[in-house]
Amino acid sequence: MGKPVIEIGSITYAMKGQNILARHGIRSSVERIYRSQNINGCGYGIYVSDDAKIAEHILRQAGIPVLGYAKRGSET
Amino acid sequence: MIYLDNAATTYPKPRSVQTAVVQAFQRWGANPGRAGHAMAMASSQEMYRCRNIAADFFHAPGPECVSFTLNCTGAINYVLKGLLKPGDHVVTSCIEHNAVMRPLHELEKTGVTFTEVQIFPGDNDKTVDAFRYAFQENTRLVICTHASNVWGIRLPVERIAALAHQYEIPVAVDCAQSAGVLPIDMADSKIDYLCIAGHKGLYGPMGTGMLITPYGSELHTLIEGGTGTESMLEEQPSGAPERLESGTQNMPGIAGLRAGMEFVQRHGVSKIHSYEISLLQMLYSQLSKIDRVHLYLPMPDTRYFAPVLSFNIDGMQSEEAGSRLNGYGIALRAGLHCAPEAHRFMGTLECGAVRVCPSVFTTEADIWRLVDAVKRILMKKSGAGH
Repeated sequence: MGKPVIEIGSITYAMKGQNILARHGIRSSVERIYRSQNINGCGYGIYVSDDAKIAEHILRQAGIPVLGYAKRGSET
Repeated sequence: MIYLDNAATTYPKPRSVQTAVVQAFQRWGANPGRAGHAMAMASSQEMYRCRNIAADFFHAPGPECVSFTLNCTGAINYVLKGLLKPGDHVVTSCIEHNAVMRPLHELEKTGVTFTEVQIFPGDNDKTVDAFRYAFQENTRLVICTHASNVWGIRLPVERIAALAHQYEIPVAVDCAQSAGVLPIDMADSKIDYLCIAGHKGLYGPMGTGMLITPYGSELHTLIEGGTGTESMLEEQPSGAPERLESGTQNMPGIAGLRAGMEFVQRHGVSKIHSYEISLLQMLYSQLSKIDRVHLYLPMPDTRYFAPVLSFNIDGMQSEEAGSRLNGYGIALRAGLHCAPEAHRFMGTLECGAVRVCPSVFTTEADIWRLVDAVKRILMKKSGAGH
């Protein structure tokens, strides 16, 4: 599997998550996810180039709903 | 033109708001929250920026609590129709705008009941007590205005919220006249639903409003449709804020609203309030010296009033007075202001009233011009032997 995108669903929560990660010194980008079963078809996720698991932990601690992982730029 | 109809919508809008709207057409022309291309993401970022600023402005738990609506009326309808069921009882005040009263009357047909509480301008203890005595076993919501759009009367919504919460009753506040001029702190007051007009005290464009609540996911939706997410779902997605925002949003308006809130933050809400009240105090002082001008309340002050003042000229219907003032280049609204209950409260249901509402752009010279125009109207009326 390529670099994973953390599936969030809502773009609002994805952007909130991006800001939270930035405060922890983690660079990330919000990206569109297509055809994911975890998010009922489509939505948004956060791409983190390294340490996605650490980012996931930070997001969950902050109350950001993490729905799964998607492959970057392709279907899951 | 001297524009004193800011209770309807503020004019002019700050230069920064106009710039933001133009920028939206130029830079954020893609539909936010739909595609993944660069301009769609830029639009989405701008929309998120507005949510973030709104959450900060009103001390809401987070940007996810901010849903965009067309106006304050839309937000109010969302709360009333999204929350209430047949058999529920609502407590409201006796000075509400039709944005509250008309949905309540419509819900009455489905078995929702409501009580309009007598309020006591200048006596918050009595007002809060009146709310307390109105609660019933089946009271499911308190909804009231923060400030009357006719008389400027400021209700003690923080105390009303504290009282209602003792009985586990949620509180919704119509902030149409107060957002941007009165302090509103959601964290401190624990108000459950803030219904906000974007285009009045926040200086955003018309066609903008917000419903700010941590309970958006629990409201039944009034409109279902595309949200840009979970497209395979046949039902409306459950998560706010997108759940409450079906269809394409007013992107230029939202950009302008963001700039408007920043404008108000730079000036400071309490400074704006003090300034605008001082203008109305000046107006009140001059009008009270004119025999045939009828003022209905004491001199406005920051404690008990938002910056709205209404008056009448004896022997003249309010609409005629408004029309004559328009002839002197003074723009304001006369009549019932979509708030017959507020007029019923003051005994002006038959004649209406002439309403004055300044903005940060109103000057003392504007107020003097209004006073002068009122005097000239009265002189002409006397000269005509009426």
